[in-house]
Amino acid sequence: MNDRVNRFLLFWDKSSRSLVLALRSLWLHKLRSFLSVLGIIIGTVAVITLMAFGEGNMQDALEDIKKQGATNVIVLSVKPPDDASSQRRTMTLNYGLTYADYEGFLLLDTVVGSVPMRIFPQEVRNLDKMFNGFVVGTTAAYQNVNKISLVEGRFLIDADDVKDPGDGNELRNVCVLGASVAETLFPFQSALNKSIVLNKHHFVVVGVLKERGTVTNASGNAEDFNNQVYIPLSTCRGRYGEKIYIRQSGSRMGEQVELHQVTLTISAMDKVRDAGAAIADRLKQSHFKKDWKVVVPLDRLEEAERAKARGMVLLFVIASISLAVGGIGIMNIMLATVTERTREIGIRRALGAKRWDIMLQFLIEAMVQTTVGGALGTVAGITLVFVMPWVSAAMFNMNLPAYLKWEPIALSMGVSIGVGVFFGLYPAYRASQLDPIEALRHD
Amino acid sequence: MPAVVRVEKLTKHYFLESVVVRALRGVSLTVEKGEFVALMGPSGSGKSTLLNVLGCLDRPTDGRYVLGNDDVSRMDDDHLSEIRSRYLGFIFQSYNLLPQYTVVENIEVPLLYQGCRINDKTTKRCIQLAQLVGLGDRLDHRPMQLSGGQQQRVAIARALVNDPQVILADEPTGNLDSKTSDEIMQMLIRLNDAGKTIIMVTHENDIAAWAKRVIRMRDGMIESDELNERPKVAQESVTAAFSENLHSLLSEAIQ
Repeated sequence: MNDRVNRFLLFWDKSSRSLVLALRSLWLHKLRSFLSVLGIIIGTVAVITLMAFGEGNMQDALEDIKKQGATNVIVLSVKPPDDASSQRRTMTLNYGLTYADYEGFLLLDTVVGSVPMRIFPQEVRNLDKMFNGFVVGTTAAYQNVNKISLVEGRFLIDADDVKDPGDGNELRNVCVLGASVAETLFPFQSALNKSIVLNKHHFVVVGVLKERGTVTNASGNAEDFNNQVYIPLSTCRGRYGEKIYIRQSGSRMGEQVELHQVTLTISAMDKVRDAGAAIADRLKQSHFKKDWKVVVPLDRLEEAERAKARGMVLLFVIASISLAVGGIGIMNIMLATVTERTREIGIRRALGAKRWDIMLQFLIEAMVQTTVGGALGTVAGITLVFVMPWVSAAMFNMNLPAYLKWEPIALSMGVSIGVGVFFGLYPAYRASQLDPIEALRHD
Repeated sequence: MPAVVRVEKLTKHYFLESVVVRALRGVSLTVEKGEFVALMGPSGSGKSTLLNVLGCLDRPTDGRYVLGNDDVSRMDDDHLSEIRSRYLGFIFQSYNLLPQYTVVENIEVPLLYQGCRINDKTTKRCIQLAQLVGLGDRLDHRPMQLSGGQQQRVAIARALVNDPQVILADEPTGNLDSKTSDEIMQMLIRLNDAGKTIIMVTHENDIAAWAKRVIRMRDGMIESDELNERPKVAQESVTAAFSENLHSLLSEAIQ
């Protein structure tokens, strides 16, 4: 045991000597060393930056999914593309999700929550003030799914959604206003408990939403929540019926859509995809036209993963090429060094250096070069990761997310050292096989 | 006196493009401890080849070579390296110091390859040796900053650091002017007086005149082997002190 420790310490002595020597000669031939490790530097920079940007894209996707809900499945009504009836002016278009579909979704045992929605453009009035906004007929669950917070009042509650109106149980004409709507209709005052007019019906304002940024919604459009007015779904059905007419430049466009969107919450992340597929199957059977669409936010993650995988292939190619070029550069410079220092090798052999000692010395030298190259590349790569998003935002107005992880840094450093060993092996072997007498005579 | 070097019927053949060069053709030689031998001869006489074999840098084609108690004539490369680092000291015509190393680091090299850990004791020994050869004020200089004579003195210190059984000198004064040559030879004589065995190759009679025994070679064989009746001697004044210093610093254990 003691013997082994001692031998290790000896090995350490020799190695550290070679290390110091290597660093000295590196410093002595700064430019030469820099040029020979340039390939390694470029390779390391490529690995670190590409990994960081790929990872940034992933994080970005994850963020998006978090916003839309990773366990959600969003079912949308889509206007069928090629409908003969749409050419007739007065016909109302009848398409989309139905209440029956909605009831059917709830039968799936993995569905734990649901938000049905109707959305349509509507003029909102308060006396002489008018706002062209959107009416959203929905239920109380909408608040949790869309993470809504209020400035004042409350959001819709379950009691607002009167299922079977009758005596003493009337439809409730209550509404919650988006920030822009409230500001336009009730400037400089609280909108709470005031009334607004939607399609000749009066509604009492029970709450006002906090202003929020536009979000890319499931159908890929920017959705401005601030323009919306929320009313109970049952009230929406009762007051509007199923047909909704939109007046546009003289013509009357009518459409009959029972539900525009249904957001379903699934019990677990790993069941989301299966649930999405099941829902799509169900819709395929009950709809003759393709007037629906199932969006699984989790798919966005898969997309990002695929992009990352593509990036990895690219990365692998670039890294391999530059590391091979870098390695060859090292090999070249090491062969030159061995020739240049043949005399030194002879001297060392005469003074008792074994072949292995010579081999070790030159291997360490190659390793030091590639390690220093790798370190320079790492510094440059990290700098680039910090600078690039800033530059792209400032110059191209483009969002370039970057996320630095320690693994690619460790990996590229490890690979740099590995390249040093691999490409240093042959020159070091050559050095170790030199005949001491010949080497001593060399000048 | 015990024999340090025993060589029996040593032959060495080189193969140069299907021509066999017989560099050594049966050399037998015994060198005892404390001898100072000068190897002389014209170029091509085999004296350098003999020195290489004696220095364990080359293996004989045939014959026996016993260094101290070890038969080294059939040893493999690693063992020969070990022998060189432990039992031999080299002094070359062109000094052959390592240009990147300081004086002290240069002296240290054989210890490193011998398997000594570099510690305070080894560093102390190296510094003392540098002082002994008169370079106490140049410890951190690089070879490039030293004159030829100074470099050769570093080489002598380096050849002493492992307390070798034999010091092999290959034309140690070949690159030096006569005054510096004289200084270097004085130093070798003092080493010899302190009990070191020295084998020196030279082609200058002036230099050979310092040695106690002169061997002349011709065509790969020993032509003559005579004792030098009246070798040149070193200046008495410093010799005794030098010898004492050397003994005390080399006898100190470094492990």
